Amino acid sequence: MVNDIAIVGYAQSPSWRASELTEPQFLFPVISEAIERAGVERREIGFTCAGSCDYLSGQTFAFVMNLEAVGAWPPISESHVEMDGAWALYEAWVRLQHGDIDTALVFGSGKSSPGKPAEIYPLQMDPYTLTPLGADPVSLAALQARAMLDAGKITEREMAEIAARSRKSAIGNPYAQVSGDDDPEALLKEPYVTAPLRRHDLPPISDGACAIVLATADKAKALSKRPVWIRGIDHRIDIHQPGMRDLTESPSTRLAGKKAGVGDAKVDVAELSATFSHQEKLLCEELGLGDDVEINPSGGALAANPVMAVGLARFAEAARQIAEHGKHRVVAHATSGQALQQNLVAVLEGD
Amino acid sequence: MTDTKQPDSKQDEAVDPNAPITGMDYFMKLEYHELICPVVREFADALMEKRLIGHKCPKCSLIYSPPRGYCPICTVQTTKADEIEMQTRGIVTNYTVVTPVQYYGQEETEPFAKVSLQLDGGGNLSLQDLPGVPVEQVRSGMRVEIVWAPDGERHVDDVTNRSWGSAEGAIRGWKPTGEPDADPSEYSDKVF
Ligand SMILES: [Zn+2]
Repeated sequence: MVNDIAIVGYAQSPSWRASELTEPQFLFPVISEAIERAGVERREIGFTCAGSCDYLSGQTFAFVMNLEAVGAWPPISESHVEMDGAWALYEAWVRLQHGDIDTALVFGSGKSSPGKPAEIYPLQMDPYTLTPLGADPVSLAALQARAMLDAGKITEREMAEIAARSRKSAIGNPYAQVSGDDDPEALLKEPYVTAPLRRHDLPPISDGACAIVLATADKAKALSKRPVWIRGIDHRIDIHQPGMRDLTESPSTRLAGKKAGVGDAKVDVAELSATFSHQEKLLCEELGLGDDVEINPSGGALAANPVMAVGLARFAEAARQIAEHGKHRVVAHATSGQALQQNLVAVLEGD
Repeated sequence: MTDTKQPDSKQDEAVDPNAPITGMDYFMKLEYHELICPVVREFADALMEKRLIGHKCPKCSLIYSPPRGYCPICTVQTTKADEIEMQTRGIVTNYTVVTPVQYYGQEETEPFAKVSLQLDGGGNLSLQDLPGVPVEQVRSGMRVEIVWAPDGERHVDDVTNRSWGSAEGAIRGWKPTGEPDADPSEYSDKVF
């Protein structure tokens, strides 16, 4: 028996290439806005869960500093995941299943600007076997794209089309960092950054934050005219070593999507954490999303990639589609690890 | 930046090039370059003028120095309008004596004290130094006053978003005023 949980408030910061604000400083208004939009009193919130990465900040216990943006005195009940805020949302969703509390605050935040992502991520994810190989996210994504190209599962033109569509969708998004009206043909004339990936296939380096307020069914109905129900949520993980799996597939996405019930009814929109262009096509295939599904109307992770918040931002954007744009059934996806190693999929619905 | 090498072998031992590698040292470092946030920049600018500033929460009156731009207790944002100048005399509320372990990169060799201060008129500073005061003489209740780095030598290169009031380039430290120690009742609820 699973209790219905709804999203009743959400907020994001813009995505900056380099913010001069500290992480708690730019989290502060985001958390306040999410709480205000939910219409709850801060002290009413029964549980708080954050997703962030101390490696990214380069500061021990940076996640504790982030609590300053929450207001943690008198003491609150809180938790932290060293993962994208989408997994903080999952933990809060589980916590709310207990039924003894009715609201939870989740947030994700990250500043990628102070460090060098290509050095940080391998050390964070696998300092033992992958770091000595220089296996940074772009290199691994390039291997994945190459494998997909070789298997005939995508073309470079399709990748450019995905990037161009994402940038165009981002034009109206105040939180996006990269937007524009690009001709895929022109994009294909650009040089490779790491073959077969060109600049448009890569996400920007971003600083940013996202916060979401969850509520149990009765509370959500009392708080919101348009609660966004989490109808299904699941996360799965593939084997850690990228050399030991077929990079052209994502069994964890497929399974998480099945468990979340993606295929049980028509999907209107999907917000996917496709951090590299080719991954969008792979995710769509694993989730069974056809041409009738609108993908990443926000511009997605190619338009704004605040690491540790980008997955939670998919939930915020998915919720916006239902609460503000009248869509009914929307998929939110978050990813973690190397080349889509771990995946979280949720189905959100309006009333 | 990363660098790998095989383990150092003792100089007087011959290395068998065919022996299996059972382990390797792995040296790593990560560099971060962070922009200084506006409120800390204002704090640093004030230090150059031999002024100590903080933000006073408009709701609970707690003083934060360096300013954070918010009061985490009241969850209200603070701005330039909440800026106050603090006095440069105060009481040692608490201290830690650090006995340095000679790990790689450790520059200190002798035990040293870092003290927390409650300033006259309000406000606290942590991670401060009492240069010239033997560690065994450092105690809660000591009355101290600021020692600014002299004009021309003063700098704020070490003031960052993470230095939390430690500003050795501008504040050389604090020296005992010689006055009798403060009564614990003056600071006992402010020890941190
Ligand atoms: Zn306050």
